[in-house]
Amino acid sequence: MKEEASRVLGVITKGSLTEGMQMKLDPGRSVEEIKAGKFVVIEGEMCDFFSMITDVGLDATSSQILINPPMPEDSVMKEILRGTNTYVTVSLKPVLMIRRDSGQDSIPEPVKTIPPHFASVREARAEDVGRVFGKEGEDRRFFNIGTPIDMDVPVCLDLERFVERSNGIFGKTGTGKTFLTRLVLAGIIRNEIAVNIIFDMHNEYGWSAIREEGVRSGGMVKGLKQLFPEKVAIFSLDPESTRRRNVSPDHEVWISLDQIEVEDIALLQEELVLHPTAIEAAYLIAAKYGRGWLKELLSLGGDEIKDFAYGIGAHPESVSALYRKLRRLQGLPFLVSDRPKGGKDVLSRMMEFINSGKHIVLEFGRQSSMLCYLLVANIITRMIHEHYVDLTERYIATGRIEDKPKQLVITIEEAHKFLNPSASRQTIFGTIAREMRKYNVSLLIVDQRPSSIDDEVLSQIGTRIIASLNDERDIQAVLTGVTNASGLRSVLASLDSKQQVLIMGHAVPMPVVIRTRDYDESFYSGIAGRREGVGIASLFGE
Amino acid sequence: MAFSGKRIGEVIESSTTQFTAECIEREGVPPFGSLVVAVSDYEVYGLVFEVRTVSVDPGRRPMAYGKTEEELMMEQPQIFELLRTEFQAVICGYRDREGVRQALPPTPPRIHSFVYPCDLEGVREFTSSFDFLRMLFSSYLRIPIDELIIASLRNAYLARDGDPSYLIKAGKELSKLLGDDYERLNSIFRRIGR
Repeated sequence: MKEEASRVLGVITKGSLTEGMQMKLDPGRSVEEIKAGKFVVIEGEMCDFFSMITDVGLDATSSQILINPPMPEDSVMKEILRGTNTYVTVSLKPVLMIRRDSGQDSIPEPVKTIPPHFASVREARAEDVGRVFGKEGEDRRFFNIGTPIDMDVPVCLDLERFVERSNGIFGKTGTGKTFLTRLVLAGIIRNEIAVNIIFDMHNEYGWSAIREEGVRSGGMVKGLKQLFPEKVAIFSLDPESTRRRNVSPDHEVWISLDQIEVEDIALLQEELVLHPTAIEAAYLIAAKYGRGWLKELLSLGGDEIKDFAYGIGAHPESVSALYRKLRRLQGLPFLVSDRPKGGKDVLSRMMEFINSGKHIVLEFGRQSSMLCYLLVANIITRMIHEHYVDLTERYIATGRIEDKPKQLVITIEEAHKFLNPSASRQTIFGTIAREMRKYNVSLLIVDQRPSSIDDEVLSQIGTRIIASLNDERDIQAVLTGVTNASGLRSVLASLDSKQQVLIMGHAVPMPVVIRTRDYDESFYSGIAGRREGVGIASLFGE
Repeated sequence: MAFSGKRIGEVIESSTTQFTAECIEREGVPPFGSLVVAVSDYEVYGLVFEVRTVSVDPGRRPMAYGKTEEELMMEQPQIFELLRTEFQAVICGYRDREGVRQALPPTPPRIHSFVYPCDLEGVREFTSSFDFLRMLFSSYLRIPIDELIIASLRNAYLARDGDPSYLIKAGKELSKLLGDDYERLNSIFRRIGR
């Protein structure tokens, strides 16, 4: 620990529990040392208050000084005024407090009071960070995700709490969302906290991917399969593409037409430009033909549509529109009209892997159109959801711990496509985000446009990991459901565009801005070092 | 001992807040704003704020001769003996057994006690704290307060070989005394000259 790291920053001058505290900066400290999001400690009489800097401001006792400021070369006058007539006020948001006489193991609690006048404020020390965020290695659930601003101490994410609820990783493009996601997933896999299914639209998670700054450096980073070869399985929708990248998929995914339900099509309404009446027609067809509805529809000849429509009592134009649009699906190579003999259906294959604690990366290869992604992710998730509901009900019936389904985390990118206000009511993802906590399934939402996500879903998000966002609406959206968000807004707006994120919510005791851990050789070796530690069997009781 | 060297004056008028001393030699006149010490029961510190030269006989005023000082010295040296120079100092501290205090002394310097100029070490010692500035502000004497502060702080500053950190410290103290009067603060420090 650096000794100077705990120097006094200033003293508390005023504030309130709801508005946060104001600190007058020590004249010996430069205002430029004070960064929004920094983690500081207010030393009260009995308690230490762990706080975050939310705003910094300049102030002067007299307006005369501002009208007639010292000349630029008049350094003595500037020095004289500094801290006396001109001063810096820093807004702090106390989040947690802990009694100083309580033991080292006691857990900080949310603030219920405030420090007195002139309580001194210091930078956080390593032990403060450890006390609040836990220490990696102390417990399996803690995972080092980065370091606070200007500090060199790991901030840990409580992965067990993390996977309990649906989570979001937000940030505009190029801020390292994918890297962050890979980091978090690697933590979950290494510490064996939950099983993952990753819908990998751009083939970035399974095998090596191009470094973020890769355009220039040409560097590659390791994918999850390389880090955890025996724990991660790659499923591929486009096996050829996967093989071309020198990866052999563990399973080739196909989907038969009878696995597609009307609600899967309803999700595609926007992508296929489907009219609501066409969806109604689809429901009519499904009512008559059951699971074979799509096969039935697509097998029609162009001239049979009219009769077909009358047969089910639908408007011929609607059926015809539905038919035309859905013909597009037939071109998708992974869609088969009949299940191949002996071929294993994707759900049972996935459940095999999940039951044995293996994580699944579903690569889309070249089938990376939004249409494919939405369709496949929805179908697979819906099937898994149904399965999980069954499993959980069985567990509730028997009450035996070995029947408890494994915690499952489903990672989706471009989440606003699934979770926008109109889609989230229809898709399975909306349901999971809202209530699947009960069924041991949670989502990891990766998105660059949080303002398009349904408010109801956003407010249920457990942990938010937020990289830089520019759009005011996006900032507003990610703070939906966060109490006292005003201070955090300025912190969010001041994030660096690289490697800096604000984490808040269920998995961290207090909001904190961190510089994310490097995803490099030292990370690989750190991950590999623990790989043999806890066996899957011991974790899942098999 | 904050002083050394020759005595420069003898107290001829004394009160709790100020004393007046007559110069012993014509050359030994303390400059405006300089720190002097009157030694009697205590070493009483004063800042010189008024120096005047008058006729020994109040009924006679010196008159103009139209000659240089050297010529007069040669021709009529006696006229200089008919003049006397006295200076007034505002009391801004004293030394007792414990050390220097920037407060009014329990008793004023006695009449006929001698006055010495403060040496550099003494100036540094006395001006290391700034309560004397407040004493100047609260004095009811008619003293040119800003000018006195300028002169005294400049002396203190020069006694420290022009260390700007001293000026900054003094400025911070002074800014508290002046409150919102930034213009006044600015003018004082502009004139201390850096």
